[in-house]
Amino acid sequence: MKDVIGLVNCFPDPELGGLTSNRTLASTSFLGRYAFMDVAMSNFSNSGIDNIGVMVKNHQRSILKHMGNMSSWVNNTKTGKVTILTNENGVLYPAYNTDLNALKENDYILYNSQASALVFASPHIVATVDYGPILDEHWARDESVTVLYKKVNDADTNFLGGYCFEVSPDGYVEKVTINKGKSKTANVSLESWIMNRVVLAKIVEESKKHDLGMTIGDYLRYAVKNKTMKIHAYEYHGYLRNFNSLKNYIRYSFELLEPNVASTLFRSDWPIFTLTHNTPPALYGPHSSITNSFVSNGCQIDGSVSNSVICRNVVVGEGSKLNRCIVLSGVRIGENVKLSDVVIDKYAIITPRHTIEGDEENPIYLKQGAIL
Amino acid sequence: MANKMVAMILAGGKGTRLKALTAKAAKPAVFYGGKYRIIDFPLSNCANSGIRNVGVLTQYESSELNQYVGNGEKWGLNGVRSSATVLSPKQTEEGSSWYRGTADAIYENLDWLERMNPDYVLILSGDHIYSCTYNEMLEKHIKSKADCTISVYPVAWEEASRFGILVTDKDDQIMNFQEKPKKPISNLASMGIYIFSYKVLVDYLKADAKEESDHDFGKNIIPNMMADHRKMVAYTYHGYWRDVGTISSLHAANMDLLDNKEKGTNLYSMFAGNQILSEDPHSAPQYIGPKATIEDSLINQGAQVYGAVIHSVISGDTRIEEGARCVNAVVMPGAVLQKGAVVQNAIIGPDTLIAENQIVNGENDDIALVVNRKAARL
Repeated sequence: MKDVIGLVNCFPDPELGGLTSNRTLASTSFLGRYAFMDVAMSNFSNSGIDNIGVMVKNHQRSILKHMGNMSSWVNNTKTGKVTILTNENGVLYPAYNTDLNALKENDYILYNSQASALVFASPHIVATVDYGPILDEHWARDESVTVLYKKVNDADTNFLGGYCFEVSPDGYVEKVTINKGKSKTANVSLESWIMNRVVLAKIVEESKKHDLGMTIGDYLRYAVKNKTMKIHAYEYHGYLRNFNSLKNYIRYSFELLEPNVASTLFRSDWPIFTLTHNTPPALYGPHSSITNSFVSNGCQIDGSVSNSVICRNVVVGEGSKLNRCIVLSGVRIGENVKLSDVVIDKYAIITPRHTIEGDEENPIYLKQGAIL
Repeated sequence: MANKMVAMILAGGKGTRLKALTAKAAKPAVFYGGKYRIIDFPLSNCANSGIRNVGVLTQYESSELNQYVGNGEKWGLNGVRSSATVLSPKQTEEGSSWYRGTADAIYENLDWLERMNPDYVLILSGDHIYSCTYNEMLEKHIKSKADCTISVYPVAWEEASRFGILVTDKDDQIMNFQEKPKKPISNLASMGIYIFSYKVLVDYLKADAKEESDHDFGKNIIPNMMADHRKMVAYTYHGYWRDVGTISSLHAANMDLLDNKEKGTNLYSMFAGNQILSEDPHSAPQYIGPKATIEDSLINQGAQVYGAVIHSVISGDTRIEEGARCVNAVVMPGAVLQKGAVVQNAIIGPDTLIAENQIVNGENDDIALVVNRKAARL
């Protein structure tokens, strides 16, 4: 799809507690071997969108580290490309560090391209979206903006704080609300939209006259409220979770341990691409015991692990017991350690015989590089 | 090491004794260690040695292997000054023929070597499992002003008669070469790894091409050089090295990853620049189910284990269903063990289906092999 640019919008960037203290959500570890941005990037790549821009709000160190030589997500390494779009002024003026200003800073992608449409996706919303049919419908109906939503019936407990739409019978957004959990059913926004290039260029131009702290989402909500623009709503079916807090990060990571849920995210025709590290397969010792867990390559496990997510290159010593833990890469856990409901950030070291127990409501977070 | 030394990997062999595993694939393409193909080892060794240009000579069932080698990207050989080139038999002005032997394979690609214009040529086998760099061997070759340096491996005396055996003097100069001797007088086996000074190699290959011979390094080129009193030096390799010619030796080499951690290829002691590089098939994370039992095993990304895995090596994209049991076994990519299946002392080939309650039971000295492609359709 040569005339489409995919944009990974890292600006919404909800916080995941300590996990996002020195990285963005986009580059935060997801299920042991991914970063959240991989899902959005792979949706583009699987949809044939090979021109990808990553709109970076902050912590670009972490994003650049994850992107490596940037070729892990493109179908053709010459005609395809991944570009980093940073808002350099935004670093100095955080209040103005918005996605709209980032596009202003990088408006060459609007004027220097033949793309007819741009597709925006937010890394904290995890879904498997094939943009092909959505773009077809967008063009067939001659729309200027199409937003994605899913009809859910668990909005009372999930997607709290996220955007919802009221949709008219002819498929246009009538009202944008915030989900406060009052009703089970809702049309939940994927915070992903398709926008014609000329429309976006106009918004960027126009926004120069208005509030400089405005986001593209703000603009669209304003347009719906004041009926200045018709916004088409496209109904998505498939896996959808909003990883917008540490609590949800833990909850939805563990939810994916359920094979019926995992199979809706991991489809053989829809791989999730990521930067790879050439780590050997996971090695389990003679006294290890593992149940209901994701374990990544490079791990050496001699203890017992249950209901957990273990990232790359983690060592679990003999006699140690982990339950309901998320352990990020490079963590070393000594012998006879007991951990339950703990999230351990990268490279932490837990020396032998420690016991750390949180509970489901109050999980404990151990920061990157901590030594206990 | 600009173009000082290029490597040529002989990867055209069938590996007949690997039976059904090599019915549709060349031996270097055979899976090993849950994640790798055998050819990952020599190719990673080249990359880790800083060798930039590698030719891979393929012939038997070459398409899968050619595709796998590709442009060498999996081993980082696609940089501005590096390349991997698949060299398969070709048609020329003189006609066309298959490679008639290991030496002929190199001879037929002298044009590639000429374009590379190296000082030294490293000849490797594509089907050996070992992790090393070739820099020390090259240093020795240069220091001793050798025409050819052969890597040797001390084998048990009782096994020496199965190998090409080299007899050396105190300066490691090769005095004698015996191909599979009945009464070996040395236990230094040739590993089939040679460094040649480029010009010398070209001369001997051209001369050999005109002769009626097996066109083989071990049988022709090396003996001819010995007869001419060329300077031949042995380089003794002390690490882990396996030529997995049979089903049981392939099985044993996999088990070495579990049992032989100190002596074997310790995949976990390796840091960047010294890793075994391979392909990443973009499979889902490895999932271990609620009722699984895992002991003493190596399991790759993309495996789903619901049953019992004990002392086994499990590749990616496999599924071991509930109640299935896998003991002392090697399960290759894409294989499925359905409910209640039992696999013991066995190798289960790629995409192979072991049906519900099916029992595959090899003996310790007679490893069972099952290869069917039935799981590819699931």
